[in-house]
Amino acid sequence: MIRNLRARKIQPDWWRKTAAGIVFGFILALGLSGLFAWLGPGGISAPIKSQFIMWSIAPLWMIIFSVVYLIPTGNKALLWLGVASAIVHLILLMINL
Amino acid sequence: MKISGPILRIYQTLHTWAGISAGLFLFIAFYAGSLTMFKEPIDRWVTPPIERMKMIEIDQYDALIDQVMVTFPQARQEFTLHFSDTENVIAPLSWYPGDVGKELKLSSGHHYASLDQNNQLSYQEKIPSALAELIDLLHRTAGIPYFMGDDYLGVYILGVAAIVYFLALVSGVIILLPTLVRSLFSLRIGKTAGRFWLDAHNIIGVTSLPFHIVISLTAIIFAFHDQFYDALETVVYKEQPMFIRADAPIEVYPIDKLLPIATLIKIVGEEAPNMAISKMDFFSLDSANATVRVAISSPQHMVSGAYTGYLGLNPYTGMVTMSSMLPGKEGLWGGIVSKFFSLHFGSFGGAFVRWIYFGLGLAGAFIFYSGNLLWLEKRRKKQKFNNAAPVQKVSCKILANLTVGVCLGSIAGVAISLISTKWLYHFAYQSNQASLFIYYFVFVCAISWAFWRGAARSAVDLLMLCGAACFLIPVTSVAAHLVNTPTLWANTNIESFVIDGMGLLLSCLFLYLAKLTHKRAVSSTTDSVWSEENAPEKVVIATQSC
Repeated sequence: MIRNLRARKIQPDWWRKTAAGIVFGFILALGLSGLFAWLGPGGISAPIKSQFIMWSIAPLWMIIFSVVYLIPTGNKALLWLGVASAIVHLILLMINL
Repeated sequence: MKISGPILRIYQTLHTWAGISAGLFLFIAFYAGSLTMFKEPIDRWVTPPIERMKMIEIDQYDALIDQVMVTFPQARQEFTLHFSDTENVIAPLSWYPGDVGKELKLSSGHHYASLDQNNQLSYQEKIPSALAELIDLLHRTAGIPYFMGDDYLGVYILGVAAIVYFLALVSGVIILLPTLVRSLFSLRIGKTAGRFWLDAHNIIGVTSLPFHIVISLTAIIFAFHDQFYDALETVVYKEQPMFIRADAPIEVYPIDKLLPIATLIKIVGEEAPNMAISKMDFFSLDSANATVRVAISSPQHMVSGAYTGYLGLNPYTGMVTMSSMLPGKEGLWGGIVSKFFSLHFGSFGGAFVRWIYFGLGLAGAFIFYSGNLLWLEKRRKKQKFNNAAPVQKVSCKILANLTVGVCLGSIAGVAISLISTKWLYHFAYQSNQASLFIYYFVFVCAISWAFWRGAARSAVDLLMLCGAACFLIPVTSVAAHLVNTPTLWANTNIESFVIDGMGLLLSCLFLYLAKLTHKRAVSSTTDSVWSEENAPEKVVIATQSC
């Protein structure tokens, strides 16, 4: 019963969730791979690492994009991914200063 | 596994729309991608032997380079040495004046040089057959023309299609999860209409899922890597250098100080033991950035190129300037990336893996084709007992016609373009423009035919066209064997026979499918897919049922 109620709360909200997946999904993936570039093994200047970092954007983005539809509403999707992107990029900015 | 109904419904809708919007682009990309596994055999099949110049011994290359550098100083910007003596290699040395960008230049000549019996320079300018390249381009752009900025519009469109395709993969797995174990390995033939297609769609999708995930992710990267790098540079790297170059020698060497080819081969042999050198590209010999890029093939390794790995050397000092694409020496990060390159290209394990990838690519094309059919089947209005056949939706009609026209038109286009290249050469001349025109002509005709005749009838016609065109491939070779003039020839190597064999095999397949489709068209219920009763005159669309 509870599960049903919870499940019923999920809305398709196609446009908003898709927009959140494309825009914030990409920004978040970019930020996460950026964090790995600075903090991951070898640091920012490891040889050829930038190519790996570039490659890592695609899987991160696609995973975020494909689970965005599990977020109950479109507005929440925009909000959560937006806040997550902001936090990640804030950390990135602090590292990079 | 239990997943709540609303979530399942959301992902079901996502899967449907993702599949419908990207399916036809992906069909062409997959089917042409399968053919690129045999890019070299295709190139060998179409390259006329009379255009080939004499191949020379390793110790003669230095004399050839010396003479070319003196006679054609513009070749110092860039030239290529070829070492493999196969039909598609026209000369031991070639160069292409001007910018070698990503845009395929169909009508500008390449320059070729070799030595004659007296060790004197022999030279010709020719436009080589670009057919194998055109098939590769079809794979990368789905045939969508127009070059914009740095790449073809089609590359970006396929990049977007690859993103949509990833969503379709994830959603397809999610909607299958609740019944995965029960229904995966059951292939219910003839149980209900469309059940067979659904089961086949699911089995192939799940069993080749890792392949599809790799292809989708790498295709996104191939399309958007410039944009990704730009974004990383702006946001992440900023002043940090993204690529660390080896210290370039400041010295500019005179051209006669080039190391002998035998020495370069020896250096490469030390860096990459037991690997074969297929090509050497020399760049900017008159500058401090002088480089030779050596293409190295090794079936024992996963190489980062579509066919070979690469090693960069300074051609004057022999110093290694780039080893990040040399099999086994890529380093940690380069190694991970080159594995993914290799997994996209199937460039590991030699011919066996190429055949596997050929099969996986065709199976992928089948997934998109059957996906469209399932969509049609689901929306098909069923005929009620004793009622007249219902009028099907316009959207169904359009998609059915498009599916038949685009998929079969693209297949027929490539096959006809392939054979006409050879016959045109015999009766008139070689023209890459003609090959390109023939492909698009057949493609557009097939789509028009599908809309004019309706999916039911045109599918039979177009399958027969595909079958006939593929059958003409071995026929052309046999005719060429019998005639055997300099302009109509058949190469008698195993790689060229592969093309003939494949043509024969595919023609049998298409003719068999044409027979099945025709049988269904005359025998199936009138509300069904390929019923001829549903030909367009009766304004009833056929959607596929089996």
